[in-house]
Amino acid sequence: MNNLLVLPFLLPVLTAVICCLFVGRPGVGRRVFIAISAAAQCALAFYLAVRAFHEPPLVLLMGGWAPPLGVVLVVDGLAAIMLCLSTVVALACILFSYAEIPVWAEQPLRLPLMQLLVAGINLSFLTGDLFNLFVAFEIMLVASYALLTLEANDRHIKEAFPYLAVNMFGSALFLVAAGLAYSVFGTLNLADISRRAEAMQGDFGVMVVAVLLVVVFGIKAGVFPLYYWLPNSYPILPFSLGAFYSGMLTKVGIYVLLRTFGTVFPHNLTQLYTALAWLAGLTMVLAVLGAVSRNFIRGILSFHIVSQIGYMILAIGFFTPLAIAACIFYVIHHIIVKSSLFLIGGTAMFYNRTDNLARMGGLLKASPILATCFIIQAFSLAGVPPLSGFWGKYAIILVGLEEHRYWLVVAALVASVLTLVSMLKIWMGAFWQKLPADGTADPEAPAAARTMTAIVCALTLISLAIGFGAEFFFGIAQTAATSLLDPAQYREAVFSLTGKGGQ
Amino acid sequence: MQIETALLVGLLFAVSVYLLLHKSFVRILFGFVTLTNATNLFLISMSGDPDGKRAPILAEGSGPIVDPLPQALVLTAIVIGFGLTIYLIMLLYRIFLDAKTTDASKLFLPEADDE
Repeated sequence: MNNLLVLPFLLPVLTAVICCLFVGRPGVGRRVFIAISAAAQCALAFYLAVRAFHEPPLVLLMGGWAPPLGVVLVVDGLAAIMLCLSTVVALACILFSYAEIPVWAEQPLRLPLMQLLVAGINLSFLTGDLFNLFVAFEIMLVASYALLTLEANDRHIKEAFPYLAVNMFGSALFLVAAGLAYSVFGTLNLADISRRAEAMQGDFGVMVVAVLLVVVFGIKAGVFPLYYWLPNSYPILPFSLGAFYSGMLTKVGIYVLLRTFGTVFPHNLTQLYTALAWLAGLTMVLAVLGAVSRNFIRGILSFHIVSQIGYMILAIGFFTPLAIAACIFYVIHHIIVKSSLFLIGGTAMFYNRTDNLARMGGLLKASPILATCFIIQAFSLAGVPPLSGFWGKYAIILVGLEEHRYWLVVAALVASVLTLVSMLKIWMGAFWQKLPADGTADPEAPAAARTMTAIVCALTLISLAIGFGAEFFFGIAQTAATSLLDPAQYREAVFSLTGKGGQ
Repeated sequence: MQIETALLVGLLFAVSVYLLLHKSFVRILFGFVTLTNATNLFLISMSGDPDGKRAPILAEGSGPIVDPLPQALVLTAIVIGFGLTIYLIMLLYRIFLDAKTTDASKLFLPEADDE
């Protein structure tokens, strides 16, 4: 029954193709179809997650070719967690977009492209082959380029160009890295690379490939000094798409960094870990300063993505088993909280018709539930106990103190305080202050506003559950981290299967 | 063959980075085109020294053949690069229609309704 592994990729692709070829026009039926498909993907991801946590990693040989000849798909604990998160966030964003835009105003290509984006993201979690990973990244990026410019107006479309240029440069570097990996290791299968890299420990070639991959995924994840494309390009997206981009796209970079350092390369690249940790410290502080300087919701939240990426990279930079578990926990918390904050911003914009803080206000009175959700998620992002963000940051800072990296701990704490400052800026501007004389706080469609608030509430409840059930979620993260850091288990799962052309 | 290819790849990368750092979007486009070609050449050169080796067609006799895998990879990479180039051209065309210029320093002027 391992054939199921291809479905998290195949289902969104099929949905997109059916929508483009047979149901070209937006309509209620098409919306229901896509929602059902998204819900099915979600259920499938959770089913795979339950299996992945009770069994050794699940492996599917594409075309029946024995590894390392063919492409393999592998689902272990971490991949399963990421699949669950991406499908849940996709479902929430799709439902939110139904409330955000009436059927007649919907761009016909938007939902199919979003499904292709999900397909690319899921494939990059599933794949166990470096070149296939490149293809998955390209599917994801091409869909993201198209969505970014699909509904942009004249002024916004210019902001998209730096995003395109930086990401295309990153993709070219990825291709170079893949070619180099093939010439150094003689294979592109991740399990096989890990086997050969172990035998080549200390070899200069291993280091070169590792550094190139760090640069590539650092660009994709938005690490200092190459993050400036992100906070300027995300604000041009509609909120429902912005939530999905901010939740998932950069986290694919984090996932691949975890995968390459945990499973593929030998665990002795100490200089590289130190470099990553320092870059992470700079990313956290500089990006959060950017967030404090912005005065509209999407801008503030976009800078926060980069700042939070810093925490995850910092955990990877410490590279102890506890730090990796903390990083995985942080990813779980971050994806849910970040996406829901974007969706809260979208709902706030629906009430105020703008997301410029100077012209917003009165939302505490207009929608107390929304304000409650916002304050919970904002405190969670800043790391106030007992909310979900606290536990991830606590574990990361604990590791930092154990490792005597005091300056990096200071940077993490400063960034955390500044996060709270910029979140309070949104709170004061949009929720607390009185409505400006020329502003409005009545949504055009109250029913749609209620649907949006319900979706936001559901995500807030998930995030509360992560915070209060931290022991359970940290247990999951630790299980995933243990299997991630055990390349032998990964290799055995892949090479135990036989197929065509086996040795 | 190896050293000439290495020099050519280096030259192409230098030209493309030089072009990518320009303000004009047209130059960025040409920088990207050069970049994809540099990458593809790099990828195909990963099959090693081709001197004295045959094309990888097994039906046509025996002897050492060049490694066919990078050739398969480069085919995928060419298609992806081509698609992206078309996308960039269309985007550039739209920017030109909107703003009647492709110079980034003139495009990014702050406007009155900037949020």
